[in-house]
Amino acid sequence: MSEPEKKRKQPAERQRSVGRLRVERGLAAARLAARGGTRYAKNAPRLFRAAGEQRQQLRNDLALQTAEDVANTLGTMKGVLMKLGQMASYVDDGLNPQVRRTLSRLQDSVPPMSPQLAAQVIREELGKDPEQLFKEWDPEPIAAASIGQVHRAITEDGQAVAVKVQYPGIRETISADLNNVALIRGLLKAAAPNQDVGALIEELRERIREELDYQREAENQASFADYYDGHPTIRVPKVIAELSAQRVITSELATGVRFSEMLTWPQSEKNLAAETIYRYVFRSLYEARAFNGDPHPGNYLFEPGGQVTFLDYGLVKHFTPAELKPLETMVRTLCVDEDPEGFRAGMVAAGFLQPDAPVSTEQVIDQMSVFYDTVRRHGTQTMTSEYSSTVARRFFDFRSPIAPYANIPRSYVIVQRINLGLFSVLAEMHATGDWRALAEEIWPFFQAPPSTPMGEAEAAWKKARAQ
Amino acid sequence: MSEPLNTRLTPGTGTVAGFVERTAEAFAASIPESPADDGFFGPGSVTWRLTSDLSTPIAGLRSLIVQALHPLAMAGVDQHSDWRRDPVGRFAATSMYVVTVAYGDRPAAERAARVVRKIHEHVHGTDTVTGKPYRADDPDLLLWVHAVQVESTVRAARLFGTSVSGQDADAFVAEMTAAARLIGVPDGLAPATVAELDAYLAAVQPELLLTQAARDTAAFLLNPPGMDPELADLWDDLKEGVLASLPDWATDIYGFERRDVTAERRAEIRQVLGVFDALTLGEPGVLEARQRVELRVREARASQAPRE
Repeated sequence: MSEPEKKRKQPAERQRSVGRLRVERGLAAARLAARGGTRYAKNAPRLFRAAGEQRQQLRNDLALQTAEDVANTLGTMKGVLMKLGQMASYVDDGLNPQVRRTLSRLQDSVPPMSPQLAAQVIREELGKDPEQLFKEWDPEPIAAASIGQVHRAITEDGQAVAVKVQYPGIRETISADLNNVALIRGLLKAAAPNQDVGALIEELRERIREELDYQREAENQASFADYYDGHPTIRVPKVIAELSAQRVITSELATGVRFSEMLTWPQSEKNLAAETIYRYVFRSLYEARAFNGDPHPGNYLFEPGGQVTFLDYGLVKHFTPAELKPLETMVRTLCVDEDPEGFRAGMVAAGFLQPDAPVSTEQVIDQMSVFYDTVRRHGTQTMTSEYSSTVARRFFDFRSPIAPYANIPRSYVIVQRINLGLFSVLAEMHATGDWRALAEEIWPFFQAPPSTPMGEAEAAWKKARAQ
Repeated sequence: MSEPLNTRLTPGTGTVAGFVERTAEAFAASIPESPADDGFFGPGSVTWRLTSDLSTPIAGLRSLIVQALHPLAMAGVDQHSDWRRDPVGRFAATSMYVVTVAYGDRPAAERAARVVRKIHEHVHGTDTVTGKPYRADDPDLLLWVHAVQVESTVRAARLFGTSVSGQDADAFVAEMTAAARLIGVPDGLAPATVAELDAYLAAVQPELLLTQAARDTAAFLLNPPGMDPELADLWDDLKEGVLASLPDWATDIYGFERRDVTAERRAEIRQVLGVFDALTLGEPGVLEARQRVELRVREARASQAPRE
């Protein structure tokens, strides 16, 4: 089992790195200060243009022209398989190669809608042609959104917006295919032979159903946007409710570069972006009691200074305080109190482990602690792909001694995507940071003072919004 | 595409492992990249549409099972073909031929037909069941194989694929006379309408017979040995689709139980076909091959559409 790389620094090296850190902190703070809160409202034409420059390569020559084309392309299980593929696309282990290849090809195989078809959906949903609804409307999509596509536009009151339009008929088609549970079960079994697929099937079905409901997505996005309003580095595009409906979501147009381009940036910039992603995931979970279950590279836009825009609220899980409490207990007992029996009791209370499981507490800790490696240790650590695939393998390992007595209760299935998605994203960024220190800031039972400049800026934001 | 038939197919293993891989490979290799012409049918044809239909796996299996009921056709296959050793290779070669004739340019289609006719020259003998002599290039046998394939394509598409109107079905039967001519059916012999096709199939029935070889063939196709357990589950659904699609007379000769398929089961079988289709799409070159076809279909449509 490999562990995240832990950097123990010698005194001389430490001094140099403290010096470098100070410079980086200075730069970051300057960038944070330079950020204005009103940038979205201004300069709509520039934003509109920039979004066009970021246009994805789409096969417009093969554009879907009718709802029947949509059904032929995404019906008969293909839409369902594609969504399954997106779920599995960042889990390299435990997936058979032919299945993985098929899933990634399926995503390539979906062309955009023709301008006429997209306009027809807008007309059906909002009652008017897009050219009448918007001051400016780009009929060619700028991005694919798996079951829809994104157009850029400028509203009548001069705001640059992204308009996500759902493929017509896709809800009906996919819903019908989702009813074939036996087939989905067989496919999942084939895709990941070692896995207990029962809970995952339910997760998959519900996840896909929710993703088809743009109204729900818009509500979730609006609540995240509201929560993070004014945050120094986390951005959530605001939803324009009057231009949104069942199959259309209109929200502020965000700028920034895609994940692959960000990966070419200097490591210090990548670390800042990673810090923002980390803060976003755990602040949302512990404070907003909501988890955006899609930590996926395609859902981020990056700007220097750790500015990250979080797109796509297709799957958001809200937790009750009672559902969240056991997760807190587990992290506290394992990482802070160092109380193995308390951790085991927490797992039992949450329903992760049977009360009378004939396994030793040592075995339980041995199996579970890998999920907490990044926050059990103090100091700077780099996320590695070895670590993220160890985590994924462990997650999919149903032959471990505790497996027969372990279970993932339905309400926590989604949170496991932290283990599968977040770590893999951070590993791709080679993200280096003191994750424990960040966690201590965020853990409700710890509430440590800021550990980084971003933390300081965040504390100021929290203070301001508390007033 | 200038390669002779079969050279791009990897050697068989004697089991159905690789069914998806090898039929996909055959498909991708048979769609030309820079065709010399539109072939014998062209992008606007019903043939182009039905040859890529979701239902083609059912059409293919159904064809083989029905074709096996002609004792002389069956004897030729049984005594000369290597299908028992390499059933998947045989199936892939057949679908490669069908796809090449459908989408290939004329030189490619003619070349493929020449190769098959050359092979047919060597296939002759005496059927041990009826005691009758047979020749694979006998127009009557070629016609039988042709007619069953055409009828199976329409029937499978209607049950499990895209809708086929009466007009489309007639057009398809008429288009397919070109394929019949290529393989050696004399002009005027192949049915040119659905009515002629049905009349032919009714008239030929007294010649049909359930031989042991036919029984073995059907049993093999419906329950292939050596399949991955996951694929085996999917195959069971496919099998139900094939059985439901058989003509009543073929069901009766085989002694199968006649059964209809409910709308619900039909939808589920379509979903399984969709999974096969998706798996095929995951194979190298298949998506690109389909896009080549689609772009030509669109081009043809655009050039025919009246200018606005």
